[in-house]
Amino acid sequence: MRKVLLLIAAAAFAFGGAHAFTLTVAQGSDIVSLSPHNTNDQPSARVMRQIYDTLVVQTEELELVPGLAESWNQVDDVTWDFAIRPGVMFHNGDPLTASDVAFTLNRLRDPATGAPAAFLVGFISSVEAVDDMTVRIVTNGPFVPMLSHLAHTATSILNERAVTEAGEDYGTAVVVGTGPFRFVSWEVASQVILERNDDWWGGDVGPERVVFRAIVEGTVRAIELEAGAIDIAYALEPRDALRARTNADLTMAEIETLTTSYIGFNAQKAPFDDVRVRQAINHAVDAETIVDVLLEGFGFPATSPISSQVFGSNPDLEAYDFDPERARQLLADAGLAGGFSTTLWTNDNPVRIQIAEIVQAQLADIGINVDVQVLEWSTYLADTAAGAHDMFILGWVTVTADADYGLYALFHSSNFGSAGNRTFWSSDRLDELLDLGRRTVDQDERLAIYYEAQEIINAEAPWIFLNTSIEANATRANVTGFVPHPAGHHRLYNVQKN
Amino acid sequence: MLVPLTYARPVHWGEHGTKPALIKYIFRRILLLIPILLGVTVIVFGIMFLTPGDAAILMLGENAPQAELEALRERLGLNEPAYVQYGLWLSRAVQLDFGRSIRSGRPVTGEITARLPATIELALLATLLSIVIGVPLGVLSATRPNTAVDHSATVLAFGGLAMPVFWQGLIMILLFALVLDWLPPSGKLGGWQYYVLPTITLGTSAIAAITRMTRATMLETLSQDYVRTARSKGVRERSITYRHALRNAMIPIVTVIGLQFGALLSGAVITETIFSWPGIGRLAIDAIRSKDFPVVQGVVMFFALMYAVVNLLTDILYAYLDPRLKTRYS
Repeated sequence: MRKVLLLIAAAAFAFGGAHAFTLTVAQGSDIVSLSPHNTNDQPSARVMRQIYDTLVVQTEELELVPGLAESWNQVDDVTWDFAIRPGVMFHNGDPLTASDVAFTLNRLRDPATGAPAAFLVGFISSVEAVDDMTVRIVTNGPFVPMLSHLAHTATSILNERAVTEAGEDYGTAVVVGTGPFRFVSWEVASQVILERNDDWWGGDVGPERVVFRAIVEGTVRAIELEAGAIDIAYALEPRDALRARTNADLTMAEIETLTTSYIGFNAQKAPFDDVRVRQAINHAVDAETIVDVLLEGFGFPATSPISSQVFGSNPDLEAYDFDPERARQLLADAGLAGGFSTTLWTNDNPVRIQIAEIVQAQLADIGINVDVQVLEWSTYLADTAAGAHDMFILGWVTVTADADYGLYALFHSSNFGSAGNRTFWSSDRLDELLDLGRRTVDQDERLAIYYEAQEIINAEAPWIFLNTSIEANATRANVTGFVPHPAGHHRLYNVQKN
Repeated sequence: MLVPLTYARPVHWGEHGTKPALIKYIFRRILLLIPILLGVTVIVFGIMFLTPGDAAILMLGENAPQAELEALRERLGLNEPAYVQYGLWLSRAVQLDFGRSIRSGRPVTGEITARLPATIELALLATLLSIVIGVPLGVLSATRPNTAVDHSATVLAFGGLAMPVFWQGLIMILLFALVLDWLPPSGKLGGWQYYVLPTITLGTSAIAAITRMTRATMLETLSQDYVRTARSKGVRERSITYRHALRNAMIPIVTVIGLQFGALLSGAVITETIFSWPGIGRLAIDAIRSKDFPVVQGVVMFFALMYAVVNLLTDILYAYLDPRLKTRYS
């Protein structure tokens, strides 16, 4: 009896002493739902990342390591077998089986579910549980990047029984995962409360409770952190981040994101069908100024369509230098020494409108007269998909952090229009490379393929490569172990508070 | 809005007139609500109908297959002429069914009612605060016109009206949460402390409006014959101020309070955003940002309904306070 008591006391000390703390995290919006099949927004994904696990885990260094799949093996070009990790329990006590995995992925891709993230599993032709612990995925054509798709929060594995029994309540009142934290409650527009899952298969979990607060105003989010009312603030606005950098009570955790903003040309329309014109405009636009003025330095001039945090990003590429002289020369070579008039479209996003105005001023310097037009979002998407534009501003988030996702939709000739390639520019060699990237298993070979692809894109300049951005997260100085993930859904199980 | 009121004699609250007259009046006012709200539905629906963009694409995303888009358009009646769509929408709206949110997929009415208590709590508290401060301050001003007290109250009131809400909110957070560390910066996480800053921020402009209105009507009533009569009879000044003057001055003040309450219910958008208050104002902003049309329509209808109901209640109270109105409707 005394031994038992001693053990209990020791355990209480071990867990209650070092581990009993609540971690309060603030982000700019409330969650939409905690069912990965109901939403594809970032605030929800940040919470779901703590509750659920995925078959494959993409580490902060973008390495793909086993998650709920202990191992996988490619049977042929299009067939993959995933061995499910044994002994994993859902938060409701059910053991994880292959049929939960098949149920989850089939539900996600079923048009009847209407999942906003269904596109992430568009590569799947069929999913089935071969036995209790093996899942077989057959793809539509070779698709090596699938592993990064299966690491995305949207493909989190659900418990079939919980989802079926909860019906409409799933994701709001009922949330069942296998992850390091279990769902406790959601006070709409206010906070989500999670508690530690002591039986997590992945090992020890630091915080006893995690509270996700929705603090809409960027400045207030910063003040909450400065006042010590929260432990971590996600995505501070540039001005607040600059202040936070100089505050000794805070630690910055900045990370380059997976987003690239760009201005696309309509490469099938004169004069943008001439590569010299596209290059001239790239030389005439000073991306550095845009980063400094609009992002207060929280970004980098882009060298390619994908940020340095994406697997396959070519580190040797250089951004077009700001050189109006060379720009004028290139225009003259293209027979446009006197300049020309054109239009630049943007949607009613204030930052994009400012970018458009800066670009307008810079292009005026080399004799290009730009008319900036602000369009309503759905009109904007429809008209750029139809090719009615000259130039347009958009951004792209390579959500899987794999080059395929950042390049295939935007540059393959099979994706002209609404599928993603709104520049209507393509090249045979690039098509070939992008197809090859999907079927090459060897990682080094894949890297070489994507390096070459980006060299072509950089030289052919179907875009004005504008900038990538930095997410300025900050923690209180007594918080340790917080490592931001480039995708923005940071894992919290390793975080400690002293 | 301020109609100079002249009274032949002080109103005594005990004289209520006949009950049926009041009920008849209330009934007529409720009937009047119907055309007003119908007008609002036409505007709300019209705005959505005239806004460019395809609702089906907004709901399913731009990469949705054509067949699915067609099916959804058919289901939502988007292929019907405008008046048929309006009829369909209205027939559901009168049953408080505004459809489902595009963003969350949940019924709009449920999203609104989940946020409603937080907004009402804050509006009630702010109104209460503005009465408790505004009325005495106005009386103080009116009884000591053109003194330092009066001038200070005037400066305070105009300052309160002129101060942008977002600026005031942020400054208060900076001061009371960060510098003094007395109150939590934002949120509604239980505990009275969370109510203080948002209530003051939201109530400031109402305090100003009520102070000014009280001062103006008190000055008016204090110059009335019956006040002079009371004074000549040797009634104590305190009694004159509160029993004779203020009671008669209350009628327009009540109107302003009612209007302010309506405005606070629907106008807490900025306050709720700054203080991360989980109310309807934030729901509206989120919905507008994400182009969640059904939620925007529902919230606007809801604001209109609340405004109309608060106005109705104010008018009823008005009739109750002013016997002349009752006789007009009886």
